[in-house]
Amino acid sequence: MEISTRASNDIRIVVIAGNLDSTTSPAAQKALDAVLAGAKKVALDFAQLDYISSAGLRVLLGAAKQQRASGGTLRIFGLNQSVREVFEISGFSSILAVYPSEADALGAM
Amino acid sequence: MRHGFRMSVGADPDGVGKVSAAFAGFAQTHALPEAVRRSVNVTLDELLTNAISHGTAAVDASLLTVEVELDLERLTVTLTNDGSPFDPFGQPAPDTTLSVDDRPIGGLGIHIVRELMDEVSYERRDGHNVVVLVKQLVE
Repeated sequence: MEISTRASNDIRIVVIAGNLDSTTSPAAQKALDAVLAGAKKVALDFAQLDYISSAGLRVLLGAAKQQRASGGTLRIFGLNQSVREVFEISGFSSILAVYPSEADALGAM
Repeated sequence: MRHGFRMSVGADPDGVGKVSAAFAGFAQTHALPEAVRRSVNVTLDELLTNAISHGTAAVDASLLTVEVELDLERLTVTLTNDGSPFDPFGQPAPDTTLSVDDRPIGGLGIHIVRELMDEVSYERRDGHNVVVLVKQLVE
């Protein structure tokens, strides 16, 4: 897994590439915590995310709770079919703000 | 024509990572459909981490064995560990309709496995927990 960040105006975009599973989640959590600490508007770019397991979902749920508590926003876009399937099975598509594209995600932020 | 591999790793996060990488390599060698590869990788992560620590129970498995068999129609994965008896599919499904704030952390992994795989089964055999998973290659 590789994580990088970029900015679009006042929005921080975190690109997570590879797998988000039990092996990579601790590092993802750490990187995401650092971004969330300094940004109110955060978008996660999943276009290069291959698959996600519940360990990865746990990181996302924690991030969503943290943003909600601090009055920030967290949006996710670019899910492939497999990641989308796991989101749907777990009910995460209805509790996280998922958008089809970057333009859609950033548009109303 | 049948292909496959079998490996044993320590029951720790490092072992889980080794299995994950081995399966990804196998999937690439045999040109498995992406959706199948991803579903099985997710499933391996869920069940192997589950075998390392299943919630409140003591962590007592020392060895995890993974056997993968591929034929023209299906992929069969058999996971064996030497921990105390534990049926991962014997737990109730979590409530996936709760909001962000009410959602407990965890409990989702097995639910995901049930949905992603076509067949799941558990048995206690010769002092081992044996889980067999089947994924059809053609829908």
